[in-house]
Amino acid sequence: MKKQLTSKMTWLQVGLAILSCLVAVLVTSHNDQFYDNPIYKVTAVTNGKPNKVTDEFENEDHQTEQKLQGYITNGKHKNQRLSIDNTYSDSNAMDHKLKVGDKVFITFHNKHSATVKDLKRDVPVVFLIALAISLLCVLLKFQGLTVVGSIIVNTVLFFCAIKINNDHNGAHVILNFAVLSLIFCVITLWMVMGWNKKMLVALTSVVGSTVGTILIMLVAFMITHEKGVYYESMQYVTQLPKPLFVAEVLVGVLGAVMDEATDIVASLATLKKEKPEISARQVFDSGRQIGKSIMGPLINVLFFVFMAETLPMTLLYLKNGNSWGYSFSMNMSLGVLSSLVSAIGIVLTVVLSSFFASIWIKGDES
Amino acid sequence: MGTITLLGIVLLVLMLVVGGHQGISGFLSMLVNFGIVFFTIVLIAFHFPPITVTLIASAVVLAITIFWSDATDNASTTAFFASIIILIILVALIIPVENWAKVGGFGLEDSEELEGLSVLVGINFTKIAICTAILSALGAIAEAAIAIASGLDEITSVHSEITAAQLMVDGVEIGKQIIGTAVNTLFFGFFGNALALFIWLTNLHFSIGGMLNDKVFVNELIAIIFSLIGVVLTIPVTTLIMSVRRGRVLAKKNLENNKEIK
Repeated sequence: MKKQLTSKMTWLQVGLAILSCLVAVLVTSHNDQFYDNPIYKVTAVTNGKPNKVTDEFENEDHQTEQKLQGYITNGKHKNQRLSIDNTYSDSNAMDHKLKVGDKVFITFHNKHSATVKDLKRDVPVVFLIALAISLLCVLLKFQGLTVVGSIIVNTVLFFCAIKINNDHNGAHVILNFAVLSLIFCVITLWMVMGWNKKMLVALTSVVGSTVGTILIMLVAFMITHEKGVYYESMQYVTQLPKPLFVAEVLVGVLGAVMDEATDIVASLATLKKEKPEISARQVFDSGRQIGKSIMGPLINVLFFVFMAETLPMTLLYLKNGNSWGYSFSMNMSLGVLSSLVSAIGIVLTVVLSSFFASIWIKGDES
Repeated sequence: MGTITLLGIVLLVLMLVVGGHQGISGFLSMLVNFGIVFFTIVLIAFHFPPITVTLIASAVVLAITIFWSDATDNASTTAFFASIIILIILVALIIPVENWAKVGGFGLEDSEELEGLSVLVGINFTKIAICTAILSALGAIAEAAIAIASGLDEITSVHSEITAAQLMVDGVEIGKQIIGTAVNTLFFGFFGNALALFIWLTNLHFSIGGMLNDKVFVNELIAIIFSLIGVVLTIPVTTLIMSVRRGRVLAKKNLENNKEIK
């Protein structure tokens, strides 16, 4: 009887989840009037003949001209019909093959001629966000909502810090993000563990190992005179690259370190509570045991986050006749560096959280 | 000595001191994973089909990350099958969404870097974006699967009489515990990684609408969400596989007991 009830509820929830994804898609695909840029809906496409192009590295590609028919869906030109030329290539690296029904942002050159600026892609993004939130809520119920809540809180904080950084034109970027990281830690650990001694132990370990990691990195930079560190390969940089890189590493490793410290401190507190007679040394050793089994997979999480996105640019370098070594240095070396530094942070956390737990946790914590 | 070499040595020594034998295999798995990622890129540059190459590489990466961790045999086998199933589900989601959002290739923000580079190289960059999304989720899937499988394995070894159905309930409980922290690891990783981009975009006073349509930003954002979905799916899938395996073990036990009684 009870089982039936819960399964019935799950079907209802699944239905609601699908419904909310559909609603999200429907609303987003009819939000054109909220954009200032003119949006153009394609109603007919005539494709020209593909043109073979070969570059100096003998890469073959094909470019195709498209004649688009369609109309504007928003703003003062609403419902105006317009025909636009578009060119796409097989590689689709900086162009789009458009088809009937696509919506694009356009730039007017005069009243009757315009070019395609970019695709309107908010619908798939909103769909994906709705899907992720529904999955979290269906599978984890209330816990799912807390996860979504903590993501929102962290995102807002993060953008506040960026705002402060921009208002000061990127001065004190490390200090700025160090303060932000501390606030992040306090809030996140508070949400996960509550305000108690365990949380303070975890907080101390997180702060200690993050500071230690950054120091190790800076010392290594000093000893090697930053040989093989190509700041010029950092993307989207508008301010001094080195402090920005330090800030990136600092924020990047924080989540993993908090994750790990929480895990180790919570387990050790339970252990000490169940067996109050064990010594500080034994507590430290069990902490190391727990830590060494989680650190390997955790290091790989960040490794793939840092490395995967270097793929397109590395590929482009290789296809433009650069050597493997040069393509690596210009695109992947900073990713490898961040992975190594955060891995050091993850290992340090094992030591520090086991150490602080062994001296401070007495087994009488709630 | 280069900075990367020095930091690599520091890491190796630290991992050896803290984890001993286990530390070395953790270090090696990172090294081998790097080799696989680089080799994948080289193969794609030689015009091997990008998605196929990435899927094969992903299976190898998952196997290495999971079997070289110090989880028990039962836990790592379960985690491996679970992560392969999640990989398949995720790819089935990633391919249509990436083709829908068309975030492959480069945006206007990349113009400076692209100076002097030919972008008409005859490789479909939408497919490359699919590969990137798959690769970024791999570590997170493996970690979550190992964590849940190990937790469940410990329960089965302590409560040797636990049934498959009870295990399902416990799996969701363990999943709830790990999900909050796993999400933090992912999100801070991506925040840190995309810090420069975020600073750039907010400097240009992009509105929320502008960001949700910006190619480079959306590319980063949907990669996070795919990984998040992968981690969330790990909970039911790993638990299901563990309880199916548990069911088989119990059935075998019953059979043996019945034989003994006869």
